[in-house]
Amino acid sequence: MTASDSDSPDRFRFLGTFLAGRPLNVTEAPAGQAAYTDGRFVFVAAGGSFSEQRREVVLQSALLGAGSLDHRLLGALRRRPKLARRYLALEGRRVLAELAARMPLAAALNPTGEPDTSTADESLELARSRASVADPPEWFGVIRPSVMLGTPATQPGARPSDSDRRLKFELTEVPEALDDSDEEPGAESKILKLFENPLYNSKTVADFLYKLFGMSRSPGDAAAGGELPTRSMRRVDRVGANARPLPVPLHFTSSGTPGSAVGVGGALYPEWDVHNNRYRPEWCRVIDFPLVSAADVSAADVQHDEVLRRRLSRLGLGPKLMRRRPDGDDLDIEALIDLFVDLQAGYSPPEQIYVERRKLARNLGVLILLDASGSAGETDPHGLSVHNHQRRAAATLAVTLEQLGDRVAVYGFRSQGRAAVHLLALKPFAQRFGAGGRARLNQLQPAGYTRLGAGIRHAGEILKTEAGAPNRLLLVLSDGFPYDDGYESRYAEADARKALEELRSDGVACLCLSIGASTSTDALHRVFGSASHANAPMLADLSPRMDDLFLTALRELAAPNRRSLR
Amino acid sequence: MLTSAHKPIRSATEAPFYRPVTNEMEVFRAAARRGLPVLLKGPTGCGKTRFVEAMAHELGRSLITVAGHEDLTSADLVGRFLLTGGETTWVDGPLTRAVREGAICYLDEVVEARQDTTVVIHPLADHRRELPLDRLGVILKAAPGFQLVISYNPGYQSVLKNIKESTRQRFVAIELDFQPADIEAEVIAHEAGVDLKTAQALVKVGGAIRKLEGAPLQEVASTRILILAGALVAEGLSLRSAVQSAVVQVLSDDPDVVRALGELVDAILPRP
Repeated sequence: MTASDSDSPDRFRFLGTFLAGRPLNVTEAPAGQAAYTDGRFVFVAAGGSFSEQRREVVLQSALLGAGSLDHRLLGALRRRPKLARRYLALEGRRVLAELAARMPLAAALNPTGEPDTSTADESLELARSRASVADPPEWFGVIRPSVMLGTPATQPGARPSDSDRRLKFELTEVPEALDDSDEEPGAESKILKLFENPLYNSKTVADFLYKLFGMSRSPGDAAAGGELPTRSMRRVDRVGANARPLPVPLHFTSSGTPGSAVGVGGALYPEWDVHNNRYRPEWCRVIDFPLVSAADVSAADVQHDEVLRRRLSRLGLGPKLMRRRPDGDDLDIEALIDLFVDLQAGYSPPEQIYVERRKLARNLGVLILLDASGSAGETDPHGLSVHNHQRRAAATLAVTLEQLGDRVAVYGFRSQGRAAVHLLALKPFAQRFGAGGRARLNQLQPAGYTRLGAGIRHAGEILKTEAGAPNRLLLVLSDGFPYDDGYESRYAEADARKALEELRSDGVACLCLSIGASTSTDALHRVFGSASHANAPMLADLSPRMDDLFLTALRELAAPNRRSLR
Repeated sequence: MLTSAHKPIRSATEAPFYRPVTNEMEVFRAAARRGLPVLLKGPTGCGKTRFVEAMAHELGRSLITVAGHEDLTSADLVGRFLLTGGETTWVDGPLTRAVREGAICYLDEVVEARQDTTVVIHPLADHRRELPLDRLGVILKAAPGFQLVISYNPGYQSVLKNIKESTRQRFVAIELDFQPADIEAEVIAHEAGVDLKTAQALVKVGGAIRKLEGAPLQEVASTRILILAGALVAEGLSLRSAVQSAVVQVLSDDPDVVRALGELVDAILPRP
């Protein structure tokens, strides 16, 4: 779905959505198959011309919109291709004729004058009868009842409605245990337990069983009432677009030392499979651990960038009260008194006597994710590798942000297949960026590949739990293609884009900088979007607009939610 | 000098053109008689501002409009001290001026302002009808005829920016939505100066875009942009190119979305 395939049938998706009255995507069917729809997609014949594909979309989505493909009607067509074909011929003509009144394009399409029927039921009736029905033209495609019936009309994981978004707490009263009661809580009834069905249970049945077997007191730590737990689970074949698997945390125990105590963490992350349009749950094993190689402290030198510091210091995210300003909301009484004293004494200072609220307070947590993969190893004419450039940029950024009082972490990241995505903690949030950390960063050697999506997901998780600041930014320093074993071009791009989407919906801003990269960075541009990606030969080239870059990335979160169809 | 063969869209003295859909004018009149504050809800470009203008004109009151933005402080509304010469002088803000003069004060997109700003309107919006000016140490009684109107766009708000419940419950709410097709066509024909047939075609385009469920558009086609498209048609552009420039290109920057919208619009507009 990139800008390059401009004649993809995807361009008809709004037309289809409009006609069908529900979200609809358009894509090409496998070669040699006629057009059909499954209720979520319209599949058009592959290789058709523009107008051919358009009329197929119009017809199939109009059938959906007119209710001709309701489950009630489709049931009758199941496993009866001949009947389905006759029905399609009649129904197709009917919906097109109906549509022609509303839409000029449909009028131009309508093949043969007046339709024979006026309702879908009538069409079905006539299709069942022995009356002769002209064959539908080729572009009417086919109806596939079994495919349609397999698609539920509404799915869990669909776009949240307003009531879902509203935050609300339901308090269940937990009765306090009575201290003066010397009675042992009655044991849970084993018989009743037999009837506790975790999958589905109705209250009526529970009540009946209680009547039958007698009540028991609820145990002290349960909610009052001693009811059978009532819950239900709905099984679905497909989940909607907004549902996503959660990461599964890994627990490390090596010779009795829990991993978290030495700063090792990790989780199994899902990965987005663009070819099948679904997540692969628990697909990538991501581990973060502190890099503890011995470091030569003499190599801890970090370049300072004054422009960068000045720019980033302007970054204001919250209001802050400022005194003695030349303009503002209120008079600063103290300054005013000083001014008058000065004036009486014969000295006229500048009239800075107002109190102003300006957006200057910063509450920012930044995680710098440094691409430490082998692809960053190539060198530029000055003999500095891309990796060197990026490493220096990471060090400069981290030092600058730390000086400005923001929370910073630096992680290097590389991968070796989906089972080994590593995040090397060079500076965790909780530590100072001391000489040891800087030296380790400077001596970081590139190796491995780039599984960007998994890296982003885990970095986001670290940001969310450890940054401790309301404004959170993930800053990715990378040079080009996300690439790993089984993680290439379109698949990789789609997964990385999905990971960013997840992060943004969780309130983490994302920004990507490519520094010193000679190769094309189009892929990153597509993944991060034009607003959140910048490249330059040196960090110093980006410094003058770093505040803009940070702010645009953070502001993207405040923008209204995009109602995503993809 | 600019001379145009077409008649001006609206002259200054003429009453603002507003076509009521349901009982919104009666509700507003009743609220105005009692001096009750009014909350207008509705999507962008559906005629909230025009409605207030029309009502202010009808009631013969002056209208003071303040556009909400995130740096709007309470001093911007109420007023502030300025230093002139050797003295400090008080300068009324727009809200104070409306309270003194008995005008209608219209706070557009009020939730954009910070929440501590919006609370200054609380004492004005209930039975007290007064504005405490703590910097002056006076409590200003609202002059008869003063009315507070705020507007807000429910679909446009993020979680952080919502109207406070305590603010909201002081208001009489009037919900405006895009008008029904026939009224909207009439409005477009009048405002843009096009014939009814063109206006109806534009309304059809607008209706189709509004109905797109799950589309990645941040905003739908408002009456305002349909009027813009109509104005282009009135200036001699073809219907297709007018809609392309005023509607399709405006609604999205994503080339995919623009292309898909273009296809939809192309199918709906009359064949050339």
